[in-house]
Amino acid sequence: MEEGEKNRNIRILHSGVFTPLRRWGTKWSLWPCHFVTSCCGVELAHAFACGFDGERLGTLNMGIARQANFIIVEGTITRKMAPALRIVWEQMPDPKFVNVIGACGQRGGIFWNSYNIVHPSDVVPVDFFIPGCPITPEGLLRGVRAVQEKIEGRDRTTIEFKHVDLPSVEKEEHRVPTTPKIFAPTPAIRVDVPREVDWDFGKEVVNNLKAQLGGLYNSIAITDKNRIAIKTTPENLMEVARKLSDSMGIDHVKNVNVIDVAHERKFIVEYMVSGYSKELMPVIITIFTEIGRETEAEAEPGFPSLTPLWESANYSEREMHDFFGVSFEGNKGMNEKFLLAPDTPEYPLRKDFKVEEELYVLEEGVPLAPTIKPPEELTMPVSEETLDEAEKNDEMVACIGPHHPGSGHLRWIMRLKGDVIVEVNPDPGYVHRSMEKLAENRLYIQNVPLFERANISDPINMNLGYVRAIENALGVEVPERAKYLRTIMAELSRIGAFFYDAGIFSLFTGHSTGFMYVWAIREMILEAIVRMTGSRCTPSFIIPGGIRRDISDDVLELTRNFTFAIDTRLRKFEDIFVTNPVFIARTKGVGVLTREDAIRCGIVGPFLRASGVEYDIRKAEPYEVYDQLDWEATTGDAGDCLGRFLGRLEEIKQSVGIVRQAVDAVKGMPRGNVISEEILGEYKEVSDDIRGYFFRVYGNLVLPKGEWTSITEASRGTLLYSIISDGESNVPYRVRVVTPCWMNLRGIIEASKGERVADFWTVYGSFGYFPPEADR
Amino acid sequence: MIDINSIISEMTTEGSQVIIPLIQQMLGLLPDIPMIKLMVSFILWKPIFAALICPGFSTLGILLLFFPWIERKLCARIQWRVGPREVVRWLGGIIQLLADTLKFIFQEVIIHKDAHKFYFLQFPLLTFIPALLPILFVNIASADAEYPLVAIQSPYAIQIMLALICLFPVFILGMGWASNSRYAFIGTVREAFMYFAYEVPFIIAVLAMIILFGTSGSVAITEWQSTWWRWGIICNPFAALAFFIGSAMATSRLPFEIPEADQEVAFGPFVEYSGIGFGLVYIVCYEKMYVLSALMTMLFLGGGNGPYIAPLGDLSGAVWFLLKTIIVMTTLAILRPIYPRYRLDQGLGMGWSAILFLALIALVLSIIMRSVGMVL
Ligand code: SF4
Repeated sequence: MEEGEKNRNIRILHSGVFTPLRRWGTKWSLWPCHFVTSCCGVELAHAFACGFDGERLGTLNMGIARQANFIIVEGTITRKMAPALRIVWEQMPDPKFVNVIGACGQRGGIFWNSYNIVHPSDVVPVDFFIPGCPITPEGLLRGVRAVQEKIEGRDRTTIEFKHVDLPSVEKEEHRVPTTPKIFAPTPAIRVDVPREVDWDFGKEVVNNLKAQLGGLYNSIAITDKNRIAIKTTPENLMEVARKLSDSMGIDHVKNVNVIDVAHERKFIVEYMVSGYSKELMPVIITIFTEIGRETEAEAEPGFPSLTPLWESANYSEREMHDFFGVSFEGNKGMNEKFLLAPDTPEYPLRKDFKVEEELYVLEEGVPLAPTIKPPEELTMPVSEETLDEAEKNDEMVACIGPHHPGSGHLRWIMRLKGDVIVEVNPDPGYVHRSMEKLAENRLYIQNVPLFERANISDPINMNLGYVRAIENALGVEVPERAKYLRTIMAELSRIGAFFYDAGIFSLFTGHSTGFMYVWAIREMILEAIVRMTGSRCTPSFIIPGGIRRDISDDVLELTRNFTFAIDTRLRKFEDIFVTNPVFIARTKGVGVLTREDAIRCGIVGPFLRASGVEYDIRKAEPYEVYDQLDWEATTGDAGDCLGRFLGRLEEIKQSVGIVRQAVDAVKGMPRGNVISEEILGEYKEVSDDIRGYFFRVYGNLVLPKGEWTSITEASRGTLLYSIISDGESNVPYRVRVVTPCWMNLRGIIEASKGERVADFWTVYGSFGYFPPEADR
Repeated sequence: MIDINSIISEMTTEGSQVIIPLIQQMLGLLPDIPMIKLMVSFILWKPIFAALICPGFSTLGILLLFFPWIERKLCARIQWRVGPREVVRWLGGIIQLLADTLKFIFQEVIIHKDAHKFYFLQFPLLTFIPALLPILFVNIASADAEYPLVAIQSPYAIQIMLALICLFPVFILGMGWASNSRYAFIGTVREAFMYFAYEVPFIIAVLAMIILFGTSGSVAITEWQSTWWRWGIICNPFAALAFFIGSAMATSRLPFEIPEADQEVAFGPFVEYSGIGFGLVYIVCYEKMYVLSALMTMLFLGGGNGPYIAPLGDLSGAVWFLLKTIIVMTTLAILRPIYPRYRLDQGLGMGWSAILFLALIALVLSIIMRSVGMVL
């Protein structure tokens, strides 16, 4: 960025004879080109939806660079996104303004030491920063007003501050606090620590496996209830997988994970697989092997890919290739980067790549946040192969995104033949903020807010999944009341996420009213969550062992009342959108995924259920109090866009029912005691409100050695956290998180094949894809 | 040497001046200076009045300035919002479009490298030709007025208007082509397809009305519909419906906003336009809406017919006409918050099946009514 760019636009506005007209016109007609890069985008949508209605200020939300004159950068700009930001900025006509919202956009916020972020102010000249994580809609609109004032000529830098001399205080010597983190120097990493559990079916399965696999395995262990680990060698891996698939009906991969054990010069590669038959549903079988780390000759150790057998492993393998440089032989995407930008550091998740450490004292001359060089290359090439192939077959290649009103934040490279889509290739990673790496450098408890940022349209479920993995490891039993309250919050969050999807879906089909209606409902849900937790989108309220503090009855009563309001408004939404003949014509029979296809691509959650697989973790492996309430899992068998959408509407109704029942149940319970006493230890007196004791209780949490996997049903599907602990450090050795959207990406690609161009957005919208959640 | 007096006498012959009793006295007070008198009579000369004041430029200008605001406000109300309001708060944001226009005027106009510069710049201006000319043929006087109020009287008024309106997509295709971008390309092709979809039923619907009226002069049509039960929409509702859907398609309103779908092709043909270029194409869409609504009012809603408002004199018809036109425009605008968007093939399919069928029924109905000599 050159120096002269700063305030250039104001200079343009203030030149010439027409200055007053020019200023007035621009002031009242700031058309923002929203740059929904990350979670803050949800709050931006709230600011322009009916709750706050940014259009009052004359700002008409536009997605298109040429017609807009104002960029609102929402949150994190990653290395991959930075060129896009610059290009969009260059494309806009002068005079133009830039606001950056969210802590991430300033000095990185919670992701300050990530390897994949860039400071937007290094890329484009920024007029105003609006702090918050996320910002509130009011804050955003305040930012718009600030720009308007700046255009009028009221410059904040000219404000005179009054200087006050305070009586000087005698300086005390402060001891520099040491970092609270403990890293074991040479940790022993095992993913198959056996555990005695009461699980007869598991023992049966293990015996079966032993008989069938013969000499193909090294060891088989039950690591927890519903978890089995099989150790094998790279050579035998494919054979083992095939045997599992043939004889047991294992049909999908839930997770591909690599663990770098640098001091032993090896990688552990593991596949978590499972099947959708009734008894196998809750079971996760981990097949893992060890391979040597890179040799002198080749930087990327090879490993047989399981994609030919289970396609659902495809994208995760490519992701692991980016992260660790393990080359999965047999997977076609191994020769290019998938999630990372061309100029991100190589193999960032290997242990020898270190991210910046937190500073506990400020020293003179040491910058608060690392200086990050913005990328210089501004092109975003499409792979030669795609272009060649398209040329050969007389097709057109169109790139949708990463900045496009209907792309979300990833790039879709489409090959079109006339009006028909031949193939869509995704180019994700524009919101990849490297959560998995950052998690390795923070205390267990510090990761709670981190993972919540994966998806702030569904924060509570994100939070719950991680906390459950910890509780599972520690063997903590959560008090009954806390369980109920967690369920209420999780379901509210689920309703909110589904409404979010419904809103985006209606926008994608061109129906802005539907969007506004559901956003009004979301406003109510957020209000309920604010009353409970104090934060709109990122409460971090669920902590290992319970919840932060008890929730009073009047708030619960309010929540219950909200559910009735949700019902009424939902009916209005159905009247205007769901029963709209145009909508039905657009979605019925479009983007069909059959049961087999759906399982093959590994899609999860309501989208899988819409294709006829009755897999809902809340039923299959009930957690919290889902088994004590009366509700039904929704399944359908149409597998088309309409089915996927209606299925989720039905789930909203079920969730509303769950909330009501749970509220009724909680009201009858005695107040207090919402944090498990096992985890509180000597601080039992704070079991109804942890305030003031938080760090004392949680600062030194250490998980037992082994791999701890939790699966929960987040709103968009199976959410898997897998924490690997060495049993000594108070930071995780590795955290693997597989978000539902990441798995659903493959489904979008599959479902839009052969459809018409306009149907791509129907398919995309029907999948409720949330890029920050997928990219993490 | 021009003889001013003879021109004045030409302009002031019986029936060729617009007579508005309300301001007639004021005009009488004007000093008898030839120049001013000339100017006033010139402006009040009916053809000029029609072209410049109503329904021509001035009306159009005012409407264009306020209609987008009305539309945004309406949308907002339907969507539980308030819409533009803060600009000049005590006016309720009514001059929002003025701000937008000023912004557009003073914004940089970007001509990107790949554009065909010459055509890229001239097409937004050229689109005004088909958008403005049809207004010259619109008659806004009511049937009981002795003299029509129209700029150009022609027995083929409707056909000429139709021809001009159908020229419109050509310019949009030109814009898309000159933009030379992928989205513009897709949008342009979509525009071309949609053109095929609506044009035939649209023309047949108009044809049905011409057959029913037995004339295509704008004055005669207004006279034919002198009482409300002889309005086109009541005599031939099928034609009215086909025409209405056709105009929704022609103006790219939802549910047929297929060529410009911003979530899909980012405004299609207009994707590369910025500054005043975009301002023009943004305005032209509304202008097209105005022309089509005026045509609809003329053909189906009885033109300027309505109760005579004495103080307004000749303008009485104009008031009714404008009122009806605005109602049609508003109806078109309300489609936006109510419907999602059809897919291209669905739009095409509809054009060639349901709407064509509707138009044909209308045609047959008209022929039957005509041949049995139905005179209500
Ligand atoms: S982490 Fe998310 S919510 Fe927080 S500032 Fe960044 S983008 Fe916004």
